[in-house]
Amino acid sequence: MSRYFRELSVAGALIVVLLGLAVFAPAFYQPQPLLSLLTREAPTLIVACGMALVIISRQIDISVGSQFSVIGVCAGLLAAKGWPLGFVLLAAVGIGALLGAVNGVLVAGLGLPSIVVTLATLVTLRQGLNLVRQGEFVNLPDGLQWFGLSQSGGQWTLLIAALVILGLLGWGLRHVAAGRFVYAVGSDTEAARLAGIRPQLCTFLVFVFLGALTGLAAMMNLVQSPQVQPLSGSGLELKVIAAVVVGGVAISGGRGSLWGVFAGLLLLACIAPALIHLRIEAYWEKAIQGAIILLAVVADGVRSRRGGAKS
Amino acid sequence: MPAPVLELRQLTKSFGGARALRGVDFELHAGEVHALLGENGAGKSTLIKIVTGAHQPDDGLIIVNGVTVSGLSPASARSLGIACIYQQPALFPDLTVAENIGLRLEGTAPARRIDWASREERARTLLARIGAAISPDAEVRSLSMPEQQLVEIACALGAGARIVIMDEPTASLTQKEQHLLFAVVRELRASGVGIIYISHRLEEIFALADRVTVLRDGQSVGTSVVGDINEATLIRMMVGREVTQLYPPSECSPGAQVLSLTNVGCKTSGVHGVSFDVRAGEIFGLAGLVGAGRTELARVLFGITPADTGEIALNGETIVPRTPQDAVERGIAYVPEDRRRHGVVLEMPIAHNATLAIHRKIFRGAWLRPEAERSLALDYIRDLAIKCSGPDAPGGSLSGGNQQKVSLARWLATKPRLLILDEPTQGVDVGAKSEIHKIIRRLAKDGLAVLLISSDLPEILGMSDRIGVMRGGTVVDILPGNSDAHAVMATALGQH
Amino acid sequence: MKRDWKALLLRHETILLLVLIAEWVFFYYAGTSTNRRGVVVGFGTLDRQFDILRHSCEIGLLALALTPVIITAGIDLSVASLLGLCAILFGKFWHDAGLPIPVAIALTLVLGGLAGALNGTLITKLRLPPLIVTLGTYSLFRGLAEAITRGAVTYTDFPAGFLFLGQERWLGLPTQAWIFFAAAIAIWLLVHRTTFGRSFRAIGYSPEGARYAGLPVERRVALVYVLAGVIAAVAAIIYTARLGQAKADAGLGYELFAITAVVLGGTSIFGGAGSVHGTLLGVAAIAVLKNGLATLPVVMRMNAAEEMAGLLTGALLLVALTSSVIPKLLARWHTRPHVTVSPTLKPKSTA
Repeated sequence: MSRYFRELSVAGALIVVLLGLAVFAPAFYQPQPLLSLLTREAPTLIVACGMALVIISRQIDISVGSQFSVIGVCAGLLAAKGWPLGFVLLAAVGIGALLGAVNGVLVAGLGLPSIVVTLATLVTLRQGLNLVRQGEFVNLPDGLQWFGLSQSGGQWTLLIAALVILGLLGWGLRHVAAGRFVYAVGSDTEAARLAGIRPQLCTFLVFVFLGALTGLAAMMNLVQSPQVQPLSGSGLELKVIAAVVVGGVAISGGRGSLWGVFAGLLLLACIAPALIHLRIEAYWEKAIQGAIILLAVVADGVRSRRGGAKS
Repeated sequence: MPAPVLELRQLTKSFGGARALRGVDFELHAGEVHALLGENGAGKSTLIKIVTGAHQPDDGLIIVNGVTVSGLSPASARSLGIACIYQQPALFPDLTVAENIGLRLEGTAPARRIDWASREERARTLLARIGAAISPDAEVRSLSMPEQQLVEIACALGAGARIVIMDEPTASLTQKEQHLLFAVVRELRASGVGIIYISHRLEEIFALADRVTVLRDGQSVGTSVVGDINEATLIRMMVGREVTQLYPPSECSPGAQVLSLTNVGCKTSGVHGVSFDVRAGEIFGLAGLVGAGRTELARVLFGITPADTGEIALNGETIVPRTPQDAVERGIAYVPEDRRRHGVVLEMPIAHNATLAIHRKIFRGAWLRPEAERSLALDYIRDLAIKCSGPDAPGGSLSGGNQQKVSLARWLATKPRLLILDEPTQGVDVGAKSEIHKIIRRLAKDGLAVLLISSDLPEILGMSDRIGVMRGGTVVDILPGNSDAHAVMATALGQH
Repeated sequence: MKRDWKALLLRHETILLLVLIAEWVFFYYAGTSTNRRGVVVGFGTLDRQFDILRHSCEIGLLALALTPVIITAGIDLSVASLLGLCAILFGKFWHDAGLPIPVAIALTLVLGGLAGALNGTLITKLRLPPLIVTLGTYSLFRGLAEAITRGAVTYTDFPAGFLFLGQERWLGLPTQAWIFFAAAIAIWLLVHRTTFGRSFRAIGYSPEGARYAGLPVERRVALVYVLAGVIAAVAAIIYTARLGQAKADAGLGYELFAITAVVLGGTSIFGGAGSVHGTLLGVAAIAVLKNGLATLPVVMRMNAAEEMAGLLTGALLLVALTSSVIPKLLARWHTRPHVTVSPTLKPKSTA
């Protein structure tokens, strides 16, 4: 019971917020806007799953936003050239994996701290993209949006796909050996090495996996509008890290689950529309995001001080 | 005569320019406990690292069950049935005991499906077999160090190891757990497992081992059946000289009371009702089994886990050390047990380490004075005979014994009124050990009050003027310094 | 004697100094030209050099703020966001609350220190990782700046006496340069000549070891974050004086340049090792790079000075990090195990 305390408290907070919205801002529950909200968040969920793995393995990646933007633009350009959707999808995932591999090599291969490495790749990718595109949009061909289905059909497809991926990854983290290796490496790298798990390879693959998932998420975002904005990924890393941290994944590694991340993401996703309905202006969003990250981390800190913190 | 289960021939290994092993021969039979003895730097840990596949030898042969192996890796060593129980358990703190055992024993195929039910079952079985009362669901972080070591042993058992290496396994076990461990070792031996047992504790070797090999300076000095040899000969083999007098004689003429404890306790660390005093010029030994609360008491006195009951008085004045800084200001010095983590900053030069605790005293107005610092360091290098290339040598470049001396220098520089020494010669070779003992004697003779914590019973008996015996977090009795080992051990066990 | 020269030459700071000189010379030749009226323009002009000096004061101050933090094995991602928040608060104090400039400055410095104390308290009292705490405050501080200005307000019309700090010269050099030099000297003395600096290093190498040596670890760690906050506030004042306006996006992205300068300068991201003079050289190298790029004709045609600077700095950070671990990796490579079997000990058949 106490092992899932964090996930349950986040779920509890989510229910409280949902109930509050039902009472004070029932307009939130209109089906179409709600569906659109969830579908907009679906790519974020995918990236959050990947980020959870990175953080569980005791690393961090703040370049996902820039990766997202770059992949989106590349995929858009390929689609505009007439590539079929399936190939564009593969290319997106491939480019993402490649970008993740760059981070992975520097962190796992050279032993550099992931915060600084991904800070550098964040800026390099973002400025590189700005240099090349100068902020220009990419116009997507017709028939690409919503996979050529109706908006509602496309939205449901995306939602279900996101949930299926969440389910598979959540199950895999618990019931497949590779998933447990991620926890092991994040808990104690040296012990993992002695147990025959290869921490460097595991860390490298985790970054590649996050990159690939970011590519997938970029595709899921691509099909939701007729254009690709080069700034589409801006702020993504903070959103995702907030969801992961709120959801109970410890920054110190080795613990956390995707169910908590899911609850955390939903909680955070509800906050923005809740603010609108409560008539708090949108420019408070960044401050509230920062405050939530701090609160979640403080709650973890207070709790682990009672239970014996890891050095 | 059956073939040895492990044979090492002419094993050679160098690191950079240093020769760690020079043509060592060693053999281990099935069903024997073979002790490995030697000073620090003699080559024991290098030998172990080679056998477990962590290092490759430069030259020589490794023969397991009659088959020569080359290119041994940790994984292949494991598959050959070689397991090592280290002093620091290599477990995953955030994961459960069942998962820890599972990760160690299940192999590294990444696509395998995890069966949590059988993981729990296996953990339960293995723990029961060694009589450990540990729940498979427990997070390893919540276990004590001795409990973690038992989990390690369970892993080795589960791996079906035929060659088990134990590196100072009793260093942090209580008496009860030590007996448990000995029983497990005997059971392993009876089932045909060959055990390499590394220990500095000669009484353990005589109690448990069948044969003993002594290493000195990277070479094997000799192998002998335990029954055919005595302690003095073993020490002579290790050090190369007759060591007739292990401990310098006491010249104690105790002066005024320096430290006085009245009913001191700290709830979080389990210390309660401690009362005794230490006088100037005396060495007060603190004996007891691990878990009795000796280091915990030291940490209370030093302000790391402050006291919440009772009174601590230094030279008649009541003090309340809430932080190490408080304690140092009052004149308490603590030379900690873990010298690499707490005693010496390995990356900093000796001179900086020496002055780390006396910034306020030696550097007026917070300005550093390199010349004064250097000269202080040189004084201590001379006084304590620290073998180094100079005061600028980084702490990490010194051997264990010399690091201990640097740690000691740091605390002597604070000119303390009370010096607490926690396992001052643990992991230190016999030569440096004797030097440190002489230094402690000299300090006491000069009027310092010394509180000596040691798990090495002969050391306590040989050095102390009075012995406080701790059990269950409190001092149960204070015995005279010339008590015998039985009296001290009986008191520590609670059996009179 | 000979060995001393070699050691001096191979020191990180010396190599960096040589790189800096090479960089400067390159931009001097590539970025300077004579325009139609026969006037020398571009990199080689005194005006441009003073501009470089002006620009480097703010990033330089942030880099100075980060050096003790990184030496204690911590990190502060929020310094640039705090710069933005302090700039806004300063503007608000002067414009909305009508406080005189000196009072507004003093209050801003105090608030900068308090913000740093927030970081410091969360990190020391709750033992939270500096990474995630300052990631949270990175968002919080910038968010507060945006919220206070509702994303739109800009404070302008500062008095000439104040703008003197950022736009004029004093005794031949830009005014803020004097402030920067004073801060640089103070931080250098703190890190290299006081017991505080020594304790920062000890904490960076071994926080537990420092505690057992009786050092007040929590107080010292909190101090470096408070100091970083105050210095960020100073940088905010100078930034506002230089631009003549206070906006919520002040200092956006500066943390990258500041961290790069510190790492470039030889301070280890793992803590313990590092120097303030190295950081100063790193700041100079980055300032020259950033401003030199803007004078290259090819970059001016593309109108991409900002992007090029960011791109190259990101790449530079990666190169600096990589080269800092190369010696360690080379050492490990050289001592990698060789497996040899002596021919005289060929195994006999054990049949």
